[in-house]
Amino acid sequence: MLKYIAKRLLHLAGILVAVSFLTFLLMYLAPGDAAVKKLNAQGIAVSAEVLEKTRADMGLDRPFLVQYGDWAFRVLHGDLGASYKDGMSVAGKLGKAVGYTAVLALGSLALALLVSLPLALLTALKKDSLPDYLLRFLSFVANSLPNFLISVLLMYFLCVKAKLLPVVAEKNLKGLLLPAAALAIPMMGRFLRQFRAEILEQLGKDYVSAARARGVKARYILFRNVLHNASISILTIVGLSVGTLFGGSVVIETVFRWPGLGKLAMDAITNRDYPVLQGFVLFSAAVYVLVNLLTDIAYHRIDPRVRQE
Amino acid sequence: MKRISCLALILAVCLLLGLSACGEKGPPAPAPASAPKILKLAESFAYASLDAHKDWNGWYTSIYGLTETLFKVGDDLSVQPLLAQKAEADGRTWTITLDPAAAFSNGKALTADMAARNLRRVGEVNERFSDVKDYVITAVDEHTLTITTPEVYPTLLTDKLTNAAFGIMDLDGSADLDNAPVCTGPFKVKSFEPEGTVEVARNEAYWKGSVKLDGVVFYYMNDDESKLMAMQSREIDGYSGVTAAAKEIYAADPASYVLTVIPATRLQFYVLNENRLSDQVRKAVNLTVDNDAIAAFLGGTVSPAMGPFGAGAPYGKVTKPKVDTAAAKAALEADGYTLNADGMYEKDGQVLTLHICFYHARSLDSIALLIQEQLKAIGVAAALTGVEDADSTYRVTGDYDIALYCMIADQAGDPYYAINALFRQGSDWALGGFRSDECEALINELQSETDVTKRADLANRIVQMVIDDNAFGFVGLFNKTTVTAPGVRNIGENSPFDFYAVGAETDMP
Repeated sequence: MLKYIAKRLLHLAGILVAVSFLTFLLMYLAPGDAAVKKLNAQGIAVSAEVLEKTRADMGLDRPFLVQYGDWAFRVLHGDLGASYKDGMSVAGKLGKAVGYTAVLALGSLALALLVSLPLALLTALKKDSLPDYLLRFLSFVANSLPNFLISVLLMYFLCVKAKLLPVVAEKNLKGLLLPAAALAIPMMGRFLRQFRAEILEQLGKDYVSAARARGVKARYILFRNVLHNASISILTIVGLSVGTLFGGSVVIETVFRWPGLGKLAMDAITNRDYPVLQGFVLFSAAVYVLVNLLTDIAYHRIDPRVRQE
Repeated sequence: MKRISCLALILAVCLLLGLSACGEKGPPAPAPASAPKILKLAESFAYASLDAHKDWNGWYTSIYGLTETLFKVGDDLSVQPLLAQKAEADGRTWTITLDPAAAFSNGKALTADMAARNLRRVGEVNERFSDVKDYVITAVDEHTLTITTPEVYPTLLTDKLTNAAFGIMDLDGSADLDNAPVCTGPFKVKSFEPEGTVEVARNEAYWKGSVKLDGVVFYYMNDDESKLMAMQSREIDGYSGVTAAAKEIYAADPASYVLTVIPATRLQFYVLNENRLSDQVRKAVNLTVDNDAIAAFLGGTVSPAMGPFGAGAPYGKVTKPKVDTAAAKAALEADGYTLNADGMYEKDGQVLTLHICFYHARSLDSIALLIQEQLKAIGVAAALTGVEDADSTYRVTGDYDIALYCMIADQAGDPYYAINALFRQGSDWALGGFRSDECEALINELQSETDVTKRADLANRIVQMVIDDNAFGFVGLFNKTTVTAPGVRNIGENSPFDFYAVGAETDMP
C-alpha cells in the first residue's frame, strides 16, 4: 500500500509540473497585458516608457521559459510570489480563502449526502411509485438549475420574503446555510439519480435474492450488504465532487459574500494577476489528485478484491 | 408510504406559497429612540488596507468618514475649505493655512508639520502622485505650510489637495496605518476586515462638532442582486451604483425607497480618427449618433452628454448640433458619396464602412451596437471590433475609425485633467489626429490660469473647438444613482464623486 501511495505522489509531482506549465503558457499567450492592467488599476497613464519599465519591474520582458523557470524555482523554495494587484503574498491569500472554501465544500457535501442518500434508498425501494417519479423529477430540476438562479431564489424566498435568514450573513454557521444549500441542491439532484441507479443494481443481484430466500431481514440486507457494496461507486462520485468543490464556486461565493477560492480566482483572472492564478491552479490540481488518492485508499479499505489486486 | 409522500408534497407547496406571500411593503418602522443609530451601507469595492495614501484606499477611508483632506469638492464642484482654511498662490508657491481647530480623533491638533509629512508620504508611496516628490513642502509655523512646485501649478488644489489619496492621518499616533489609522474624520475605525466588512464608530472628539450617527457598517457586496435583496429585506439602509433593473423595482415602491439620480463625472465618448476620416464623414457621424436614444436604451444609467463635463459645471457650457440625419446624408453626399442599390453610401465602388473599436466595460459594447444601428439607418456600414486592452491597442495599432472609451473626465471640479489628456497634441488620449494651434495655445493658457472664472471660460472655448471640429463624440455621463431607506440623509447622494459618503451630518430615523 505504501508503495502504491508513493507511486501516486510521484504522479502528483508530474501532474503539478504539467498543469503549472500549461497554465503559465496559456496566460502567456492570452491577450491582455498584466502590466497594463496594473497601471490601469493604479490610475497611471500607460505611456510606452512607463509600460516598458513596469514590464521590466514585473519580469514580463523576459523569455517565457525564463519566467516559468524562475517561478518554479521560487515555488520549490516555498515562495508562491506576491499578487500583482496589491503586492500581498499569494500563499497568504490562498491560505485565507482555502479555509472558507473548505468549510463551504464540506458543509454543502454533508447537506447533499444527508438528503440524497436516504431519498435514493427510498426511490430505489419504491421504484416506479409516485414518490419515485416525483423525486426523480425534482432531482432532474435541481440538477438543471444554474447556480445563480438557485442562489437568488433561496435568497428571495428565505431572506426577503420569509426573513428566516439574513442576506447580509456573517461568516458563521448561520451564514453558511444558504451558500451551502445553493451548492448542495444541484449536487443532491445528481447524487440522488446516481445513488439510486447503483442501489437498484445491487438490489437486483443474486446475493440479495439468496439472502431474502434465507429469511435475512430486509433492513439487514439493505444496510449491511447493499449499501456496503454500493459504497465504492458512491465514494467515487463523492470523491470527484469533493475535488470540484475545492475549486470554489465563483457565483455562489460572490452572491453570498463568501471569500473563498472561486472568488479569489475570478478576481485574479479579471486583473491578470498571474501569480495568484498560478497558485490557485497549483493548489486545485494538488487537491484533486490527493482527493482521488484518498478515494483509492478508501477502496482499498472497503473492498478486499482491490487489496488482492 | 404513498399517503406520507402526498402529504409531504402538499406541505411543501403550502410552505412555498406561504413564504412568497409573507413579504411586507411600506417604509420600515423607525428604530426605538434609545437604540443606537447604526447606519448600514453596501459598497461595491473593498481594499486590504486603510492606509489612505496607498493605491485607491483613500477613496474608501473618505467614504468611511475616517480621513479628511485639506480641501474638498462641493456638490456644486467648487473647491471648499476642510482641514485648511485658505490657500494662496504666488507663482510656483502655494501657502496653505490650516484650520487651527483641526484635530485627530485622539485629540492631537493637526500641525502644519504633520500635514506636510502626509503630503510628502503620498508622493513616496503612491505611483500616481510620484510628482509630489519634486515639490518642496515646508511647515512655516504651527498652522501654515508652503508647497513649491517645479512649475506654476494652478490646479494643485483640485488635482492634489482635494484628492482622497491626500487624506490626513496621524503618522505618529497610528500604531497600525493599514488597519486602524488615527484620522480627523467624523468617524473612527471600530473593526476592519481586509477586503470585507468595515465598522466605524462616532468620533466623539470630532473637531467640527457633533456627529449625528453612532456608527456605520459598510458591507462589501459586489453582486447587484444581493444588494437589491439586502435592501428589500431592510438589512442595509442604502447604496450607490443602482442598476437599471433594480432602479425600476425601487421606483415602483416610493414609500419604501428614496432614489436620487444625478449626472456624475464618468464620461462615455468616442475618438473620431482624423487620419482616416474626412471632415464631412466625421460630421455625418456626429449628426447621426443619437445620445438621447442611447441614454434611453441604457435605462437611465447615463445622461446624454453635450461635452466631456456635466452641463451644471461652469466649464460645461458648450453646445453641439442636434441629431439631423438629413444633414448627415447631405454631408456624405457633399463628400462624393452616393447611395447604392442596397441603400448604403459608397464612393468609387467602395461601400463606406466604418471600423468601430470598443472594449467590454461601462456599456461601451452596447453603445457600439447602437451606433452601428444608427449609422446603418442612414446608409453607413460599420464593423465592430472588441479589444482587450484599449489603452495599448488604440495607441499601438491606430487601426480604427471610431474608438469608444470611458474615463472619469472631471476628477475633482476642474476641467484641465480631461482637456490635457484628450486634446493636447502628443498627450495620452490625443489619438485621433486632432491638431489646432489655437486650441493648443488655449490649453497652455488654461494650464497656468489661476482665476476660476477665466479657467471655465477657457475650458468652454477649448471644448467647443473640439466639438466644432468633430474630433470626438461625447455620448453620455454616467449617472450616480443612490437608493436609501426613507429618512436616511446625506450619504453623498448629491455629490457627483464616488469618494464622498458619510459625514457628521449623515442621519437616519
